[in-house]
Amino acid sequence: MNPAWRHPSFGVGAVLMALVVGAALLSLVWTPHDPTVMRIMARLRPPSAEHWLGTDQFGRDIASMVLVGARNALLVGLVAVGIGLVFGVALGMLAALYRGRLLDEAVMRGLDFVFAFPAVLTAILILTWFGPGLVNAVIAIGIFNIPVFARQARGATLQVLAQDYIRAARLAGLSRMAVMLRHILPNITGLMIVQGSTQFAFAILAEASLSYLGIGTQPPNPSWGRMLNDAQTYLGTAPHLAIVPGIAIAITVLAFNLLGDGLRDLLDPRMKER
Amino acid sequence: MMKPIRRLAGPAILALGLAHLALPAAAQPRDALTLCQTLEPPILDPSGGAAAAIREVTYGNIFEGLVAYDRNGKVVPALAREWSTSVDGLVWQFRLRPARFHDGSAVTAADVKFSFERAVAPDSKNAQKWIFEPIAAIATPAPDLVEITLKSFTADFLDGLAMGDATIFSAASVGKAATEPVGTGPYRFVRWQRGDRLLLERNDNWWGPKPALKSATFRFISDPQAQVSALLAGDCDAHTNLGAHEAVAQLRADPRLAVTIGRTEGETIVAINNAKAPFSDVRVRQAMAMAVDRRLVNEGAVSGLGTPIGSHFSPNHPAYLDLTAERPVDLAKAKALLAAAGYPNGFAATLRLPPPAYARRSGEIIAAMLGQIGIRATIEPLEWPQWLERVFRNKDFDMTIVAHVEPLDVNIYARDTYYFGYQSPAVKEAYARTKTARTEPERLEAFRAIQRQITEDQVNLFLFMLPKITVARKGLTGLWPNWPVPANPLAELRWE
Repeated sequence: MNPAWRHPSFGVGAVLMALVVGAALLSLVWTPHDPTVMRIMARLRPPSAEHWLGTDQFGRDIASMVLVGARNALLVGLVAVGIGLVFGVALGMLAALYRGRLLDEAVMRGLDFVFAFPAVLTAILILTWFGPGLVNAVIAIGIFNIPVFARQARGATLQVLAQDYIRAARLAGLSRMAVMLRHILPNITGLMIVQGSTQFAFAILAEASLSYLGIGTQPPNPSWGRMLNDAQTYLGTAPHLAIVPGIAIAITVLAFNLLGDGLRDLLDPRMKER
Repeated sequence: MMKPIRRLAGPAILALGLAHLALPAAAQPRDALTLCQTLEPPILDPSGGAAAAIREVTYGNIFEGLVAYDRNGKVVPALAREWSTSVDGLVWQFRLRPARFHDGSAVTAADVKFSFERAVAPDSKNAQKWIFEPIAAIATPAPDLVEITLKSFTADFLDGLAMGDATIFSAASVGKAATEPVGTGPYRFVRWQRGDRLLLERNDNWWGPKPALKSATFRFISDPQAQVSALLAGDCDAHTNLGAHEAVAQLRADPRLAVTIGRTEGETIVAINNAKAPFSDVRVRQAMAMAVDRRLVNEGAVSGLGTPIGSHFSPNHPAYLDLTAERPVDLAKAKALLAAAGYPNGFAATLRLPPPAYARRSGEIIAAMLGQIGIRATIEPLEWPQWLERVFRNKDFDMTIVAHVEPLDVNIYARDTYYFGYQSPAVKEAYARTKTARTEPERLEAFRAIQRQITEDQVNLFLFMLPKITVARKGLTGLWPNWPVPANPLAELRWE
């Protein structure tokens, strides 16, 4: 067995993530029912053989909605983290390269400015301005990922830049760009993946919060956060409406946090020596 | 956007508010009341805006008109003790009772003249100017006598005067009516903490019998779940129009609470922008109607507590026609109609929804139902100020869902510039007949003609009458079970 699997956090995280990704992939080809079809006369049914997790306030199949919701959550995570990774790493490496100069200061202080605002609150502001919706929500969440990655990337790049082999490469005539791509990027990738995993969990939680507030994913697209919002007035009469998406969010966030934890340990060279 | 911010700010304000209210409430529990309502009024001047929330607070409490609606929708005396009309119905004489404004000044005929002339002035924001438009002249032969001469016979003149829009103000204090109202009613305004609550106190100089409650607090809780929690926790003694229809069973099970299901005058409709393609084509609107099963919308949006309607008219009124069977659900026929109108593959449109749960829930169902005939409706949630600005004032919308809560408001289909952009000479003619009809059967027939015409033209999709869910602590009596007009007259309430 690969030693990685023996790391408890990584192992549990990976299994949970496989579950979520599996659900999302499955929903592409099959769901028990059409998640958008309403059967209003069969609303608020408890779990049964036909509806494994019951039906919601419009008679939609909750199991199907949760499966499709997984797709929605993963998509949000991927795109939002993608935005953060691409722009954050680029800006961070650039700042490191021009360390101490005006460009470095401008980039990093600008990102500090973004970082100073509470992410979800500012996402609400952005969505109020540009209108509610999934695309705007993802962009808003992505923007707040940029400074996180940029800071990490700058620090890591500076570390690598101080290595002798970088000086050797430069003396050998390699351009700055080539050094960046060939030597620095591969060296900071591990760190970025760890960070990405944590940010992934944050992005999913942020989307759920925004959808809960009614300004994220819009109906009829299923979203765990909106399912929670819709469920709240039914808490006294049909609690399964809230419990199911709540568990889905908890599992997914836990999966990525555990995965991030595990990866950090596994990718840390000091851990290997033990 | 306001909704999330209000949610976040709510608990903080609530905590501060309770801290200084807890003591007096505990000391004198049985002559004070906390009445919760869903929406906060934007202003308190009922002659300055259409929002029902203004009337829910002020009607019969702070402000009064010459006459008023009682709980059964009957017109009863208010500031006018009695009235008479000339044989031709053109001259109305109102005899005022001795009454005083909250600032101590006497109510005179001059105040009536001032209020009505102000209401109809070009710069007036009065939402129901039609009430005053038939007036040719207002004379004040004595301080307690008002004589109104009409341009032509107007059958619903007195009905109009009973609405909150025909409130009597004094010229000295009307300037502050929006924020610090001075009225004539049984309760005077004390304080308004915006975003949270409004405090009223008994007016001991009122002309009527002394009300039982010494003070009353209106609290504004827009979130349906928070409304339920506040009732269960005892933070609200009553909620007169609960938003959480699905919680009725849960509240009924609580021995401390009494739940009454009544009717409002709120015709809930999918308003369609008739002035805009493709909705300007009647076939498109008829096709949409054939895709929407209003029974299911009623069930899914308000737990089946509303009354389905087939036109914009209240089943509470004697002229009501049941037109719900007029355009039954028929998807094949609907698609054929759409194809005939030039949209064989349907089209995309927006559905802009105001915040109430009935609108948001109906919206999701309507979007799904329209999707069955290829109309791809994108839902856009709006807050009330945005909705009023974009949809209601600027007519920038395809479809929206809203309840029209004024009594007998079918006249909106005879207006030239109303937000859904409908123009029909036939409806205008029939509406004019409701004003000139000399006999009640003639008048009712004119109203029926309007109902038939707007259903034939399928101006909007007519869904259901909004139910009124009244939840109150047991022992509180006198709440209106139905809402002929949105109002909570506090003088009728008492603790048993």
